[in-house]
Amino acid sequence: MLSSQTMIAQHDVPPAVVDFSPSTSGEFVQFSDVYKSYGENLVVMDHMNLDMREDDRLVIIGPSGSGKSSLLRVMMGLEGIQGGQIGFQGKPYIFGADAGRAKRIDAKLQKQIGMVFQHYTLFPHLSVLGNLILAPVKVGGLSKAEATERARLYLARLGLESKLHAYPSQLSGGQKQRVAIARALMLEPKLMLFDEVTSALDPEMVIEVQNVMLRLAEQKMAMIIVTHDMHFARDIATRVVFCASGKIVEQGAPADMFKCPKQARTREFLEKVLHLD
Amino acid sequence: MNYQFDFRFLEGSFGALLDGLRVTIELAVASNLMGLVLGFALCLLAMSRWTIVRWPAQLFIEFFRCTPALLQIVWFFYCVPMMVDVFIDPILMGVLALGLNLTAFNAEAYRAGVQAVPKEHLDACVALGLKPWQRTMYVVLPQALRTAMPVLMTNGIGSLQQSALVAIVAVADLMYVGKSLATEAYRPLETYTVVALIYFALSLPIAKLVHVIERRQDLAVKR
Repeated sequence: MLSSQTMIAQHDVPPAVVDFSPSTSGEFVQFSDVYKSYGENLVVMDHMNLDMREDDRLVIIGPSGSGKSSLLRVMMGLEGIQGGQIGFQGKPYIFGADAGRAKRIDAKLQKQIGMVFQHYTLFPHLSVLGNLILAPVKVGGLSKAEATERARLYLARLGLESKLHAYPSQLSGGQKQRVAIARALMLEPKLMLFDEVTSALDPEMVIEVQNVMLRLAEQKMAMIIVTHDMHFARDIATRVVFCASGKIVEQGAPADMFKCPKQARTREFLEKVLHLD
Repeated sequence: MNYQFDFRFLEGSFGALLDGLRVTIELAVASNLMGLVLGFALCLLAMSRWTIVRWPAQLFIEFFRCTPALLQIVWFFYCVPMMVDVFIDPILMGVLALGLNLTAFNAEAYRAGVQAVPKEHLDACVALGLKPWQRTMYVVLPQALRTAMPVLMTNGIGSLQQSALVAIVAVADLMYVGKSLATEAYRPLETYTVVALIYFALSLPIAKLVHVIERRQDLAVKR
């Protein structure tokens, strides 16, 4: 696991073509030499390497602008990368622009990833049910009855069955985020991405959303989570990844990372945020 | 003013006025249907990433916004038949002229609505695997329609008023019938007053409805 800390820092050298031979394809998610920048100056992923196993729950921490959110957005296919490759479930998933391919993302693999965002993204013109069944019916090929059945199931699990016909404007912030999680789960993803899903919430609602995520963790859902909440990170992560300036500075088990970080950069960051908590 | 109002002469013309009213409503409804549907399509074209699509669409919008509606109608009735050597039914020509004008104005209304859709919703659509056209139909359009509704309805009333302009090219709408009655009976004051009241009665409920919707939207924003 620690081998992924080795960074390639030479910007001028074109990134090596990564080969997805069986020996390296055992990983569930594999970032190989991923490079992404906005313009010349803002490098958000600086030849990043990262491995994730199927039973991993990665929590990405780091100062703002360190490329945490970019990592999730790239994994979801919302933004492209300039260089490197990303593998998912042992198959090539995303290619950098430098690969010169017309298709840079495998849409089939993309469908197996779900994402929940920081801002509320429930569609206001649809009821909770409408939000939940839109994609399963239009994309997943489920009948309306099947999708409705599944929606009831997920809402019941999240304690929201009474809100089936409510509209997003009638829900609290915490309820909205729980419905957003249910909406992503409706497509039965293999990997869930959470991008600061509690940072827009009032403190008392943070817990209810985090509890839902902890329950997902118990069910062995693979997740990549970006959060500023270090206590939650400690509770849910199998591995904590500290990013700064587009690089992975350090990663490890939550207990080690929070108790005795090896890098000065990590220590500095943790002292700052844990002090604020 | 010692003018003696006398509305009795209109009693026998009730049928003619109704016929005119029917044509006016046909013109307004048809041009609004056209403007609501094509307006959204034009809005998407005008917001396209590709210049080659965006440019003609914007030119179309600006052309209709920056020339008088009366001129557009006259041009449609006299110049289009000269160019393509066909003259379809006058009402259809009227609908086309009014409808295209409304399309241009509605495209602008929709644009504000489309721009108001939060960017995060588009990300969520990608995450849910919706294709671009599904995103447009199921997520962007309903939200844009909601935001744009007051302006679309105001434009719609405008189109109803503008439909009176087709009287000038001899389409027998309410205005045209009114004009004929006024000249026949030498009673322009009564006739035009009645005709005005009919237009007013048609438009006022819609205008009031716009107010109600706007108030509700304001409240929703405050919530």
